[in-house]
Amino acid sequence: MFRKILIANRGEIALRILRACRELGTEAVVAYSEADRDSLPVQLADEAICIGPADARRSYLSAPAVISAALVAGCDAIHPGYGFLSEDDGFAEVVAAHGLTFIGPPEAVLERFASKSATRQLLAAHGLPTIPGSEGMLRDEMHALDEAEQIGYPVLIKPSAGGGGKGMRMVRTGRELESALRVCRSEAKAAFGDDSLYLEKWLDENRHVEIQVVVDRYGHGVHLGERDCSVQRRHQKILEEAPTPALSDAARADLAERAVKAAVAAGYENVGTLEFLVDAAGDFYFIEINCRIQVEHPVTESLTGIDMVTTQIRIAAGEPLGFSQADVSLRGHAIEFRINAEDPAHEFRPGAGLVERYHAPGGPGVRVDSHLFSGYEVPPYYDSLLGKIIVWGPDRATAIARSRVALDELVIEGLVTNVEIHKAMLANEAFLAGRMTTNLLDRVGSEAFLAAAARS
Amino acid sequence: MLDPAKPDDQRVERSAAERSADHAAIDRLTSELLPALIAKLGATGLGEFEVREGAWRIRLRQPGAAPGSAATARERKPGERERAARSGASQAGHVGGMTPVGPGREARDGQNGREPTIHREVRTDGRVDDRIVATSPAVGIFQPRTDARAGTRVRAGDRLGAVDMLGVPQEVIAPADGVVGASLVEAGDAVEYGQHLILIEFASASPSEA
Repeated sequence: MFRKILIANRGEIALRILRACRELGTEAVVAYSEADRDSLPVQLADEAICIGPADARRSYLSAPAVISAALVAGCDAIHPGYGFLSEDDGFAEVVAAHGLTFIGPPEAVLERFASKSATRQLLAAHGLPTIPGSEGMLRDEMHALDEAEQIGYPVLIKPSAGGGGKGMRMVRTGRELESALRVCRSEAKAAFGDDSLYLEKWLDENRHVEIQVVVDRYGHGVHLGERDCSVQRRHQKILEEAPTPALSDAARADLAERAVKAAVAAGYENVGTLEFLVDAAGDFYFIEINCRIQVEHPVTESLTGIDMVTTQIRIAAGEPLGFSQADVSLRGHAIEFRINAEDPAHEFRPGAGLVERYHAPGGPGVRVDSHLFSGYEVPPYYDSLLGKIIVWGPDRATAIARSRVALDELVIEGLVTNVEIHKAMLANEAFLAGRMTTNLLDRVGSEAFLAAAARS
Repeated sequence: MLDPAKPDDQRVERSAAERSADHAAIDRLTSELLPALIAKLGATGLGEFEVREGAWRIRLRQPGAAPGSAATARERKPGERERAARSGASQAGHVGGMTPVGPGREARDGQNGREPTIHREVRTDGRVDDRIVATSPAVGIFQPRTDARAGTRVRAGDRLGAVDMLGVPQEVIAPADGVVGASLVEAGDAVEYGQHLILIEFASASPSEA
């Protein structure tokens, strides 16, 4: 096991990793930017180190700053969390070159899965149906138009370096593609420090279902079931649940088994998520693999009772998984609500400012992962995620009932949040019937959505 | 040693006409030029650019991906920087990444044109001692310059040492004219970004004006 881990992230995930380190009895150092000096992870850490200014490119996205911090603080491993440097194979390589361990897949594995088109081919060769997409990264406008013509409109522009809906646009014509390319490039550059884009076929009525896999260094892999992330706004997940209401028990088990088999055969290692689109007929298509811990990992933790962050750290340290598929049981139903500092009434404009009063809900099956506290000043420089409320129940109906109670109890004063969208979702017929598709919120429009909920 | 009440001998005397011209320039900058430039910077996606008008120079720097962070202008007349520092004005740290630079002062004022950082010590008798301090530009290992020992006169922008970040030296810069004072860290110490490294004491006459 590691002696000391540098946590190279911020917000709720830095806190989550800090807690995992403490549980493992491993020392931890929180790396932070000047803008996060008063943040909760920094306050709660036994040791913290300032790595740069507010600008993420010179702090959380700066490989030299992060690695230098790990070295001077005497760490032997770096946990990158999600976003920032978490899926950067170049970063993982430099980390290894400095004698440190990157907590995630080894650099060679990250490199193998770095190209989205090569990953699709690799997993197709191992038996997964895949979504059509562009060959490699888009070089320029002409290349993009050619590729889109090949795939057939509508297509989705996606950034190579990360997720979260940033740099993503669905386009239906060549004209739309041309104008969206530049916007996507600059968004991707700002969010991930990398403006590589690629194209993917877009299915209009689809559900987003992902399979969580865990594979140790010795090729022993299990799946931890799936998560349904169909509730999205402009390709950004805002609510995730498991099990998915979209598939039968048999179809879910089949998908999960095929996914973990393909991932192990393709040489994947550590925790990973295989994302699929499921169409109205129940057919599924592999789209991409996420080589990191994900925002929505607590949904899976709620169902399995398995701590995914300590598991991730133990695998990176070279420990065997220690359990088999037969030991994994999925119990009940869980829903995660992402609480963002966004104004649903104004195009989800991200906000920042002072949290005047904060109260987190509780009760049976309610878990809150958040870095908020009363008096915390949310800085304007980063992602708008304020925290996550994860609600578990023995069945979906109970989970939904508990979720209503939890969301009503939540108090965040001083900032506008997206909580109203979640409350509206819990009153929406399509959601209650388990028929959500990824385009519902965008098609109806958030305002109409909120208004409909207010009437009901 | 430092006496805030003492008249500022570095201040250039300016005539009433010059002063009113300065005020007019500042007004025009804040009401017309700055909003236009901020919009321009946002639209182009450029990281930084500089505009000159008459004796004034304005440099705008994008504070990373910072949605909604309003850039705030701070205006300064020649010689005022030293006065602000002496009175311990709470101007430490950069604001919104924008730094207007007064006429005749080339970009010599410390790191990226930011205001000097104030190092505050509260003594046992309750007295507060504020002094300008050179800060660390990076996280890494500190190495002072051997020819910038305590007592050495320096000008703003002079190199006092370096912080080694993975083998790449990042310069530690004197944030103001003065004399090198006590070092708060040792050679070879691990330092974090922004850490206070070397105090700068003020000479009675600035070397730059001598």
